[in-house]
Amino acid sequence: MMLLTEVYGLPVTGPDGRTRLGTVASLSVDAGAGTVRQVRVRRGPFRKEAAVSWDAVRSVGPDGVRLRADAAADAPRRPRDLLGSLVLTEAGRERGRVLDAAVAPETGRVLAVFTTRGELPPARLLGLGDHALVVRSG
Amino acid sequence: MDELMTARSLTTRPVVTLGGDAIAHVRDTLFDAEARWITGFTLTGRRLLSGPLPHALPWPSVHALGHDAVMLRDALGLIPEDALTGHRGSLRARVLGARMLTEAGEAIGTVADVVVEGGTSGRIVGFRIAADQRLVPGRSGHRRRVYVARGPSLTVAGRTLVLPEETVRHLADDLAGLTALTRGVRGPGGGGGTDTGPGAPP
Repeated sequence: MMLLTEVYGLPVTGPDGRTRLGTVASLSVDAGAGTVRQVRVRRGPFRKEAAVSWDAVRSVGPDGVRLRADAAADAPRRPRDLLGSLVLTEAGRERGRVLDAAVAPETGRVLAVFTTRGELPPARLLGLGDHALVVRSG
Repeated sequence: MDELMTARSLTTRPVVTLGGDAIAHVRDTLFDAEARWITGFTLTGRRLLSGPLPHALPWPSVHALGHDAVMLRDALGLIPEDALTGHRGSLRARVLGARMLTEAGEAIGTVADVVVEGGTSGRIVGFRIAADQRLVPGRSGHRRRVYVARGPSLTVAGRTLVLPEETVRHLADDLAGLTALTRGVRGPGGGGGTDTGPGAPP
């Protein structure tokens, strides 16, 4: 299990673990599917961002995110950062903000979302958009 | 019963899809001709200087009317505004400021706002009125704002709303009081419950 806040800022390297490609800027989460879809990598002197599919990640550890040999840039999704998102129930009532999320590094599955109003299981996630993380009323 | 809210308070409330995207803000709330149900919302853009949108949100596309947002399934539920409003315009505009009378013709006051039920019903449950001095005695020149339940027998006649005497006998000072009234709870000296169920939505 890893926390999103632990992954942000980690170095991203090639399959040899030595070729540094950039740092993790954020992770794009598909809330409806309950998985991490992309790693957004910040690189270069102008801090440009590129997206890499989570399937292209070979391993994640405290030392960094190591990509597979066949990793290629992915078409970037709209950057929707789970961290800090407003939480809104499907009934239209605000329920705090997202503080962190636990993710299984092997699969990218979201295991739990931690908010200012408590923990949310992944089964309650409906969608993450530009306004809020929408969750099932519980 | 879900939370009660005034139609005025819905203006500027974000319209959010279940995917989490805010697509608009509420500009106005539309009601049916009998002031029983919300029929939909007209919309404005999300930015500060955005004008009215050409599309409206019909009530069947609403997932829930919430305290902090109007939820809809997806943006495909929007329709051209003309298809919703027709030539009638907003009934809220006609109801606000309308006279309210009892069936006996006694003036109750004028409508200051419409109270709707949140959640999935879209039901109009009452009105906030600037009460006539005879109905609610107060300081001279001061018209007290009170809430009255819609009841099952309201009649809309042009710019006049007519309520049964029985309904007008029970007033509330705030939305919490109106909630109690519509649930059939009476204060000291109160009578029986007020039937607020106008029937199934269209």
